[in-house]
Amino acid sequence: MRFELEVVVHGFIYGSAGVSFSILICNHGVCFSSRSLPTLQLISSAIRRCICSERLCRLSVLLQRSPASDPPLVRISISDTGHGSCIQEFQDLKCPVEGILAETWDGIVYVRTTKIADISDTEISCYQLNLKENVATRKPMWLPSNIKHDVKFSGTEVCLSVSESVDVLLAEINCFFHQILILKVPNIAMEVVADGQDTSGSRNDAVFLENLFSGSSFTASTLDRLKLGFEDYVLGHGSSSTCNSCFPNRDELKSGGGMVCEDKHKLTKLVVEAAVVISEISNPTKNCFGAGCSDTKVLFFKDFVPCTISEAFLKALTGIDWKRHGLTLECAINQRRHALLKWEKTPLSFHIHIVVHYYQKLVANATPLVQQTRLDKKLISKAVQLALEDFKNKHAGFLLSVDNLKISRFAPDLAKAIAGLVLYSNDMDFKRECLAILGLQPHQSEGEVVEETIKKKIISVIEKNDQRPQGIKEVACLLFRAGRQKLQDLDNECYMDDFDPMDL
Amino acid sequence: MEGNRGSLERIEVLRKITELTRSMIVELSNGSSKMIAIDRFKSYCTNSLENCCCRFNLSEGKDVLTLQRESHVRRLDVLLRVLLIIQQLLRENRHSSKRDMYYMHPSIFTDQSVVDRAINDICILLQCSRHNLNVVSVGNGLVMGWLRFSEAGRRFDCLKKPNSAQFIPVQVEEVTDIATAADYILVVEKESVFQRLANDRFCSRNRCIVITGRGYPDVPTRRFLRLLVDVLALPAFCLVDCDPYGFDILTTYRFGSMQMAYDAKNLRIPQLQWIGAFASDSEKYDLPEQCLIPLTSKDKRRTEALLQRCYLRREVPHWRLELDSMLQRGVKFEIEALSVHNISFLSDHYLPSKIESELTTGKLIGDYQSIHSTNMGLVWNGNGMS
Repeated sequence: MRFELEVVVHGFIYGSAGVSFSILICNHGVCFSSRSLPTLQLISSAIRRCICSERLCRLSVLLQRSPASDPPLVRISISDTGHGSCIQEFQDLKCPVEGILAETWDGIVYVRTTKIADISDTEISCYQLNLKENVATRKPMWLPSNIKHDVKFSGTEVCLSVSESVDVLLAEINCFFHQILILKVPNIAMEVVADGQDTSGSRNDAVFLENLFSGSSFTASTLDRLKLGFEDYVLGHGSSSTCNSCFPNRDELKSGGGMVCEDKHKLTKLVVEAAVVISEISNPTKNCFGAGCSDTKVLFFKDFVPCTISEAFLKALTGIDWKRHGLTLECAINQRRHALLKWEKTPLSFHIHIVVHYYQKLVANATPLVQQTRLDKKLISKAVQLALEDFKNKHAGFLLSVDNLKISRFAPDLAKAIAGLVLYSNDMDFKRECLAILGLQPHQSEGEVVEETIKKKIISVIEKNDQRPQGIKEVACLLFRAGRQKLQDLDNECYMDDFDPMDL
Repeated sequence: MEGNRGSLERIEVLRKITELTRSMIVELSNGSSKMIAIDRFKSYCTNSLENCCCRFNLSEGKDVLTLQRESHVRRLDVLLRVLLIIQQLLRENRHSSKRDMYYMHPSIFTDQSVVDRAINDICILLQCSRHNLNVVSVGNGLVMGWLRFSEAGRRFDCLKKPNSAQFIPVQVEEVTDIATAADYILVVEKESVFQRLANDRFCSRNRCIVITGRGYPDVPTRRFLRLLVDVLALPAFCLVDCDPYGFDILTTYRFGSMQMAYDAKNLRIPQLQWIGAFASDSEKYDLPEQCLIPLTSKDKRRTEALLQRCYLRREVPHWRLELDSMLQRGVKFEIEALSVHNISFLSDHYLPSKIESELTTGKLIGDYQSIHSTNMGLVWNGNGMS
């Protein structure tokens, strides 16, 4: 039985005010080391073509098992209704075929495609390429073309056959699509269909990844979609359903986002978007992260597809002033599919999740180019910093800088002393006045109430200071007398070097 | 027993504490991180006289404590804890030593100097002296000679045994009924010299009051000396070791310390005359070379720093010349070195010759002698002469 579903996405508008989005084709973005490597690379290409088309598109991945063949093969078809492809895209595809992959795949891909950005051409080109061949000497073998029969459409289908378990392939592809969903690309409906009987005897009829977007998602910015998609991803630990033991309440998830752009060329600009999601740990001993584990996974997307972690990306992460956000980085580890940040002085009372999307954007109508994009470490660091700042501005009390964390630890003692000065005073008018300034009623003169109110005010001031850009300090006022002297901010301990025992 | 004046002062300080507290609460309620601003005082600078703008009683700027820096908040934490203790002392009209205060929060205060600094900050904020906060220190100074006085009803009669040491009272504001038959006050740096004079029965042979702060003088010693000088109008002389530390102690008596520059007006003794030991005394009194100790590099650095102090250039340039002479000679010596000739050389020859010289040639000598002539049985009862 073959079971197939499709999602129809309505009201697609991509870009605004004459600025169109497109993706420059990059052939080195995805390099999964798994057995599904070529499949995932080809799916990534299909996604880019869909995004470049700026139309509603469908992306289908069909896995068909051929038990009759020896050894048994799985035919994988990746088809999209994007803007078509050019031969260079596959000719230049770097696909290291080694190890077990060399034994399970012959390197041959069959391509059927329309021309790029030309839906009115009459032909569908067909050719085959051997991706095991060296890129420089790789030549297509042209096959007979198909006729479009006056139907206006564009798209590409790429097929390959591998000797692999459907379960293994499906697990990889499934994981990949769940990561893609983080971006919440609104113009692509995606489906994965498995057809045929597996060796275990079970039937994998269909695996469907649906796009749950509402109409408003089309008008939302890519950054907002990234935040929303990442929240969903975190809620389900990468699967489609929310983990109730970790997240009994979605409110426990808080997010912030940051974006930086850099005009690299006249036609394009480099965009880096970062989202930070923080989940409070409601049950420190019973959660999926493991007791006491506060490590942070950082996912990286490049040009709308998941990307393995490079050393440059790790350097960008280590270059961030984490202390400004109350975190002390112990080390950053490359886990290939994500970076793992280990914090000093863990466990934290919350989990931090970060995703970075690095892509190029066309700012004028132009044909997408084949171009490699080099990572700009400063832009990545800045985007993550902005996301952290945005988070702090939205969620007071979180990510206080290391300095302000230290300062806030004094709040209870300061509050206790100030409350004592008020409450132990014999001057009743003074007491009443202070309570009124604090917003308390005369009957609320219990020590704990006054102390707590003052503590909250102190914490609030510290949090406000933390949100203020660095370098901006308040100018202090004077007490008792008018300021005839120049105000001077105190810098650490003064006079201490002059201390003499004579004043004992 | 507290007089009316003391009670009014106490009420005024308590009022200022409420004012300070109110101001902090207002700042916090306005969302401001500014907590307090403390005037910064200094007793000297190292600028040239043309560029010096040191003036007693005027602050040189402010230390603004905010909630933006850990060092500020730490200082504020200590200050508020100490202020709370002081508020309680004043409310209950009790007294406490700085050491007692330290042991009330030893883990927070970490060191006695931290409490001392907080007390100084509070004095500046409340514009008062330390004793106004009911904070007292353990008495360290000694006095002997032709003097009689009372402290809080307790009578100190040095006249009966002028060569016996008495502790200088801690609550100097409680000192009344001062009576003297002395011609001058002699301040000596060290207890060993004080004891030498006591053994030599110096006060029996010389009508004087001898005081020592036993090294760097504490506040009660300086306040007591200041009281005696103000009330009795006697000339005051100071004898210190011929080394940079002795000289620094001398300047502390005369000009006040940097730490308590805010209260220098009450603690300094501008009339104090330096009578030795001078570098030139080593030749004048024929000290053998074995008694002269070479200045260490630290001594030299400290001496050079002392020479830069503005008040020396402005008020006592001749002191500066003597200090410079010590630096040029490259040697220092202790007062005890004078015993090389005779154990009582200090009492029998050195001091009498120095004091006589000052009394006969000093510019204030006429004034003091006229007071002296009618000074026998001079009594000060705390409100004025009688």
